[in-house]
Amino acid sequence: MDVSQYLDIFLDESKEHLQNLNTSVLNLEQDPENPETISEIFRAAHTLKGMAGTMGYKRMQTLTHDMENVFSEVREGNLKVNAGMVDVLFRCLDAIEGYVTTIQETSDEGDNDNEPIIKELNAILENKGAAPEEAPAPAAAAAEAAPAAGSTAVSGAWEAMELSEEEQKAMEDAMMANKKIFGVTVFVQENCLLKAARAFLVFKAIEEHGEIIAASPSTQDIEDEKFELEFSLVVATEADLDTILNAVKSVSEIADAKGAPFTGGSAEAEAAPAEEKPAAAPKVEEKKPETTAVAPVKTEVAKKPEKKQEKAAPAKNDGKKTAGKPAVNRTVRVDIEKLDSLMNLVSELIIAKNSLVSTATSAGSTGNSLNEQIEYLESVTTNLHESVMKVRMVPIESVVSKFPRMIRDISKQLNKPMELYMSGEETELDRTVVDEIGDPLMHMLRNSADHGLEMPEERIAKGKPESGSIFLDAYQDGNNVVIEVRDDGNGIDTERVRQKAIERGVMTEEQAYAADDSEIINLLFMPSFSTAKQVSDLSGRGVGLDVVKSKIEALSGEVDVKTKLGEGTTFSIRLPLTLAIIQALMVVVGGEKYAIALSGIQTIENVSPKDIKTVESKEVINLRGTVIPLLRMDHILETQSKRNPGSDMVVVIAKKGDKLAGLVVDELIGQQEIVIKSMGKYMNKCKFISGATILGDGEVALIIDSNALI
Amino acid sequence: MANELSTNVNEIIQYIVIRIGDEQYGIDIKYIDNIVRMQQMTRVPQVPEYFKGVINLRGEVLPVLSLRLKMGLSKDEITKDTRIIIIKMEAHEAIGVLVDSVKEVVNLSTAEIERVGFDRGEDRGAYAMGIGKHESGLITLLDMDLVLQGL
Repeated sequence: MDVSQYLDIFLDESKEHLQNLNTSVLNLEQDPENPETISEIFRAAHTLKGMAGTMGYKRMQTLTHDMENVFSEVREGNLKVNAGMVDVLFRCLDAIEGYVTTIQETSDEGDNDNEPIIKELNAILENKGAAPEEAPAPAAAAAEAAPAAGSTAVSGAWEAMELSEEEQKAMEDAMMANKKIFGVTVFVQENCLLKAARAFLVFKAIEEHGEIIAASPSTQDIEDEKFELEFSLVVATEADLDTILNAVKSVSEIADAKGAPFTGGSAEAEAAPAEEKPAAAPKVEEKKPETTAVAPVKTEVAKKPEKKQEKAAPAKNDGKKTAGKPAVNRTVRVDIEKLDSLMNLVSELIIAKNSLVSTATSAGSTGNSLNEQIEYLESVTTNLHESVMKVRMVPIESVVSKFPRMIRDISKQLNKPMELYMSGEETELDRTVVDEIGDPLMHMLRNSADHGLEMPEERIAKGKPESGSIFLDAYQDGNNVVIEVRDDGNGIDTERVRQKAIERGVMTEEQAYAADDSEIINLLFMPSFSTAKQVSDLSGRGVGLDVVKSKIEALSGEVDVKTKLGEGTTFSIRLPLTLAIIQALMVVVGGEKYAIALSGIQTIENVSPKDIKTVESKEVINLRGTVIPLLRMDHILETQSKRNPGSDMVVVIAKKGDKLAGLVVDELIGQQEIVIKSMGKYMNKCKFISGATILGDGEVALIIDSNALI
Repeated sequence: MANELSTNVNEIIQYIVIRIGDEQYGIDIKYIDNIVRMQQMTRVPQVPEYFKGVINLRGEVLPVLSLRLKMGLSKDEITKDTRIIIIKMEAHEAIGVLVDSVKEVVNLSTAEIERVGFDRGEDRGAYAMGIGKHESGLITLLDMDLVLQGL
């Protein structure tokens, strides 16, 4: 089978499942007994295995299979989760990730068998006592081990069935006749329309193989559709359990069927769990353990019809779980390129619309209806743009969900207890931005973990809790998304940075002491400064911060640091919601049109030339008590202002963080929605031009990046 | 580039012949995406002088290079014959090249092309990879890869 066309989907989904597994295993470490987490892990591992198998990646399949075995034991309560096991599981996940990466790069899984990990996984299974000789026979072990663990595992509802005297008798008769008694719970699909009809077909199917002794709810109620999504039966038959279950499952709109030898009555309660549990749990998604599970009743060599069912298996999830989740996923996977092309078309449309507007204006349109139509078009394009932008938005969860695992690893590596608290994972950003912020965030978290947080002894001495805390908070703030990385560590020691700056010759002693703390902290973002201060292999306070800064700025974002010595540091990243289309102020300088992003503009002022003061040979104005440096845009843009030097100046007050600057322009045109176009690498030498846009008349206007000017 | 010429003995390559000043230059047609008339150009500050600015080519913003200034000749004089040749090469981003005029398309076989040792220091010779002999005269064949390198 040619599976290459599914490769992308396989890679996408594998990564999703891996991430899911990472998160779940992490949860498991916190809460080793949580049955939901365990089931979740089991499901993800199983699906992963099935996918790898379908795609023909044998090594990956083997590894996931062995991992699944461990989870399966955990799920049945035969194994207790401990730290050592979690470590092995994490290594196993890393190895699987390795396979996925190799597959992505070469379309082949490579030849690393990861035997050490497989051995460790099997060792976990063996240590439990009743180890399977080799991995593919976990159910036998499960059956053996089951009586030891007497806890209540999730199984079919038939367990709870109480039999009337008549039914008891019928059962005994059947047993006398050397028939086997099975309890079966049937799960009907949630969207099944005629449940009673399906139930009838189930009855019919079973009766071909045996006799139905009892039903819960009663047969009458089932016929009247008086049941939710499941019903239980007690069946007497000469066939084996598999035959019965397969017969049931062959009825359409039946989600799943579970079963096990039925012992009935509470008198045999002791024996019951032993037989039921191994049968119930593993069988949910896979057929092969069922046959083995019958073993206690009648020794039978397990046939493994796994190959064919492998593919179908992921679909047959635990019926109960499916019922709890939204059954229909109302999402579509779309190639990002298709979205990009859609976005481009919307951009074209907006340009065309702008062009119509300018034509209508220049034609001095007299008819109101034309203007009305244009306004209507304008609102439609704006809405269309918003909708497309929304489609491109993805929650940052996909990026941040790997961080808890990373912090855990760092914590172990450094022997420094710490916790990561995240909030706002659902905050959405443009897909392109989300793809890019992973690395900077990772740098900052490492920085906090390695250098922000103190060692436990030090923390105790300071009266802080032994375990350090790192917070990752994301939230939307107007047209921006803010992501904060905060730690309750020692904060940045500005004195030490100052000393280093002098030592490294970045600043003279005079400069260093004249500089305020925020200027000193900004030094950490300087490439030359940070690399020189490399402290550990993990990260130095400063290592990579220059990378963080340049990356964030490339995304038109900003980085800001707040720190208090002894109390901690907060890095905040501010990113624009969308990159491609922005609201801009159009201005004229020296006869040329320029756009300035509205988000960077605070106010627009008319300033008389006589209000200009000179401080350190730089022009400044005093605006309501704030001294603001003036930037003559005509000089910066290498052109000549066409304005009468004596008249009032138009000053656009731009802000960047706490800093302000006044951009002197010739005149204002107005506010406009513009589509940002890249000018390519030939033109990127000009730092304060962030791109270009096409105006309504087809003319190209450059976009001034006010942040780069301040 | 130079290797391409020597390998295939009887290969015929199409060149677009352009004029800059009194000289004829040839550009391999396979790199040419489009030829457009001079149009409104937006100046970009703080870039080398040989970048004349950016144009809007059907919704794409493209930089325009003055071949004259790049080769160290006098400034372009915009006339009705002035053309912008849009060059698309795999190794480079798309770019427009400003030329005085576009003359014709010629077929040159390898035999008609002479590899001459140019003094790379000489302005005109700096980007040449050979001389094509054609009935209309000698054509300096431009190595566009070399022109676009290090822009």
